[in-house]
Amino acid sequence: MLKLPGSQINAGVSLAQKWWQSFCCFLFPPETDTWLAVLRIGLGMHVIVYALFLRSDWHYLFASSGKGLVGREVGEAITSFDSPLIPTLGWLVAIGRNFNISEEAVLSIAWICLLSAGCLLLLGLFCRPAAIVAWFVHLCAAESGGLLAYGADSFMTTALFYLLLSPLPDHYSFDHWVAKTKPKNPRALGFWRRVIQVQLCFVYFIGGLAKCLGNGWWDGSNLWRALIRPPFTVVPPDILVRFKYALPVLGIAICLLEVSYPVFIWMKKTRLIWLVCIVAMHAAIGLLMGLYLFALVMIVMNIAAFGVISNTATPQSATETDAQ
Amino acid sequence: MYWKQIHAAWFGIHFFLLTAVCFAGVFWLIAQGSTILSSAFDEYARRAELVATWCLGKEARASNPLRRGIATYLHAAGIQAGYSFFAPNVPSQHRLTFELFYDDGRIEYESPRMRSKAAALRLESLLDRLPEERYDSVREALVKMLAFSVWRKYPDVKKLRATLDSVHAPGITEFEQGKTETFQPMFSFDFSLRDEQKQ
Repeated sequence: MLKLPGSQINAGVSLAQKWWQSFCCFLFPPETDTWLAVLRIGLGMHVIVYALFLRSDWHYLFASSGKGLVGREVGEAITSFDSPLIPTLGWLVAIGRNFNISEEAVLSIAWICLLSAGCLLLLGLFCRPAAIVAWFVHLCAAESGGLLAYGADSFMTTALFYLLLSPLPDHYSFDHWVAKTKPKNPRALGFWRRVIQVQLCFVYFIGGLAKCLGNGWWDGSNLWRALIRPPFTVVPPDILVRFKYALPVLGIAICLLEVSYPVFIWMKKTRLIWLVCIVAMHAAIGLLMGLYLFALVMIVMNIAAFGVISNTATPQSATETDAQ
Repeated sequence: MYWKQIHAAWFGIHFFLLTAVCFAGVFWLIAQGSTILSSAFDEYARRAELVATWCLGKEARASNPLRRGIATYLHAAGIQAGYSFFAPNVPSQHRLTFELFYDDGRIEYESPRMRSKAAALRLESLLDRLPEERYDSVREALVKMLAFSVWRKYPDVKKLRATLDSVHAPGITEFEQGKTETFQPMFSFDFSLRDEQKQ
């Protein structure tokens, strides 16, 4: 058997300890809860807008076969092939059936729950239960209508998932005023902010990398096609064609902005520039392509992750809370 | 006491899975030959995609508890799909048209519609998925349901033909030359109240 000298083992252990300490410094920076308030309020608004946008089509989208557009059974069957443990609206309908509640009534209750959860999140009342309800009902809807889902749904699920796991309530919420909750562990707050930051780095790097691999992003043709593609046509092609020389520049700028996001968003000197550019890009996507929900959730996540100036708690107070 | 270790372990697992999902998506795009990379990379990308999907348990049997557990977690966290929206290129748009045949020989044209724009976006998303290979088994059932949603509005219709077209939008130069979008039929289905026939 190979025997290592004691000094080498000690050196290895201390190296591992150093690595663990620096990893912890990165993963658990002390933070205030301002970013969490931004995320909660932003997602509250987002959930309300989502519910109101789909108000008139809610039943039509999620009713069973023969009553709705395609019937939610197909989406639910595809989802259950992945795993039968993934919640769907079918679960809620089945529970309602046990209490003699009709499918229509269950769908209406689900919609009301979603809207109410959004309002409660916005106000900061019953933050944690509201976040759980919003996440669960939205997840059920997104999975039942899986074939009708698009990018905004995934981001909404992710953002609500992180919100419900974060140390709620923040001190701007009604919960804090009413119940006088204790300040949360600054390092736990820092950890959940870090999770969202890293998540966004993945989103943009992968999105940017995949775009870089397409020739249409380098000559502007993809931007043209994206903007004239119904139902995203907000700007008439006659007007858009006047800016044809700007399209290749914008296409390349989007690729570079996204793929370099994980580098420049961490540097203090470039953070504001990258953040402003990314938020502007999402605002443009929202306004020029009509993807308002997608734009809103991305802007909220970016501002919560990198936009709120970190009033870093003192290391001393962080240590004290750690000890508690 | 161990909350840091627990949080760090969750962080590692979570982002490991996210990495696998994201790279599975990118490698799939390369393996499909839809990128600017040479076709020499296709085979490597296919192998790399297999590794990534193996990490997600997708190579295991559908009833495997680990596979199901991972899939449930990915869906719950909203990270089951990668982030290659509109990449590597903007996909073609699709249009579903219904020809409504009446007893008296009249023919009308209709498309599935939603009331709100937010829901219309979702319908577009569904139409863009219809031609995908992975939906081969449910395509006809989906089109039938869409046809039925139209049929409910026009109960006098005797027969209904659903046609899915791929819409090719003109490029900038073509648009300047006055060209408009062209339609390439992809498939059509005939439905009647008593039986349905695939064409």
